[in-house]
Amino acid sequence: MNKHVKISAENVSKEFIQKGTQRVPVLKDISLQVFDQELLVVLGPGQSGKTTLLRIIAGLEKPTQGRITLDGEEIRGPGPDRGLVFQSYMLFPWKTVEANVRLGLEMAQVPKEKHAETVRHYLDLVGLNGFEKYYPHQLSGGMKQRVGIARAFSTQPKVMLMDEPFGQLDAQTRLFMERETERIWLSDKRTTIFITNNIDEALLLGDRIVTLEGKLPGRMKKSYEVNLPRPRDPMDMEFLKLRHTITSEQELTL
Amino acid sequence: MSKSTHDVSNEVVVRTIVRKRLTLRSLVREEKFLYVVSLVVFFTIWHLAATRGNGDSALVTPWATLQGLYDMMSSPLGGETLVGHTWNSLRRVLIGFSIAVCFGIPLGLLLGISETASAILRPLVDVFRPMPPLAWISLSILWFGIGEEPKIFIIFLASFIPSVLNAYNGVRLIEPELYDVVRVMGGSRWDEIKQVVVPASMPAISAGLQLSITSAWMGVLAAELVSSNSGLGYIIILGMQNSDPQMVLGGMVMIAAVAWVLTASMEKIDMMLCPWRREIKGL
Repeated sequence: MNKHVKISAENVSKEFIQKGTQRVPVLKDISLQVFDQELLVVLGPGQSGKTTLLRIIAGLEKPTQGRITLDGEEIRGPGPDRGLVFQSYMLFPWKTVEANVRLGLEMAQVPKEKHAETVRHYLDLVGLNGFEKYYPHQLSGGMKQRVGIARAFSTQPKVMLMDEPFGQLDAQTRLFMERETERIWLSDKRTTIFITNNIDEALLLGDRIVTLEGKLPGRMKKSYEVNLPRPRDPMDMEFLKLRHTITSEQELTL
Repeated sequence: MSKSTHDVSNEVVVRTIVRKRLTLRSLVREEKFLYVVSLVVFFTIWHLAATRGNGDSALVTPWATLQGLYDMMSSPLGGETLVGHTWNSLRRVLIGFSIAVCFGIPLGLLLGISETASAILRPLVDVFRPMPPLAWISLSILWFGIGEEPKIFIIFLASFIPSVLNAYNGVRLIEPELYDVVRVMGGSRWDEIKQVVVPASMPAISAGLQLSITSAWMGVLAAELVSSNSGLGYIIILGMQNSDPQMVLGGMVMIAAVAWVLTASMEKIDMMLCPWRREIKGL
């Protein structure tokens, strides 16, 4: 295969120090490659270190061992070339929808006259036109996360990092947002790492699914190619077969 | 696409107005009615208490109190009318409060942001915090004499600590992941302060302002009671020395009225500082 490697993790381990002296290993020897324009899903139960892995890629944590590169360059800290979508939205309640999305542009010192256009573009992309002047508390959970996605897109990152973005939504809204994520990803083909503990979500979205083991420290378990046509049907035979394979190879605590 | 968006946000609020019939029972339970009744009863008892006895009572009727207020507004006392005295007190409060806020809020934010600053300055805050500002009155007169300075100093002390502590707590209670939002976008430490620390602690700072202005107002009265020849505290003391309950009560009414105005303006300022919270109230 001759795909361009976008992100490469080489033997990444992470230990946290707890109460000053206790060492808690969270990730052990993770080696992983993410290709350009790929939607990679990292699937693992709670407490498998998947959020930590994403935070290391985002540059918010430093690995204890190993290194991660983006386009061949080692990641040494956070930066606007990686957009992060938070599990609990993390919108600024004192800013309107519009101003929340504009935040990244202000920080990247994009010229002011381009702000309005970029903000409108990404609000359109996530389907939030008409809600520019709303405050986050006036939005439903799904809409909040749309703002979160638009905000992450606004700095035009090379990769999108999504940390269980729909974990707080009800089942229906969740399915709907998964379809939306697929639509947005297809329209733009931004390299994406999507973290989840939900196998259906993983199968609906992923080009490839990487599983983490269910107890700390998190280790890579297996990698599955999902060669099913999009949009995927969760009742499709192939879908269910793959679902069965993954579940039986992984004791998922859902 | 726009259709699905509206599906998500399709939260319709149905409002119906139910007209209650006016019966004795519903009237007795009506909040506004009871509010008025309570006040009427209070003023009646006050009036009765003041008119009992044979004229040398230390209490005057509500009506006489109002008359006293009117008299004090038109004829000067100690060189100034009541309006002048009110302004004297208010001016002291505004000066002391402004100085306290200008130093207190930045100091509180600094304590919240910097662990080093906190380690050095927190012990001092902890030493002075439990000390009631009024305890400083004698010392401040010894230091600053009997002019404006000791009063402003007391007001400063009274409003400084709440400003510091509220700003400090506001910063400490910020969700740490909010900083990550800024960091991921490539923001600097300064961006974190500008975009997260200040706005996120604004509700707490605003609450601190309300506490500060209330305790500043108490501070000025206490200071004026001890030594002053102008201000509302002076009016009360003067009334006491002249055995003139009309003057004392008039001064008290004015004090309450100003306190009410100060609180109301602080609520307005709160809405200006935190417009996003105003929306929450309306929901």
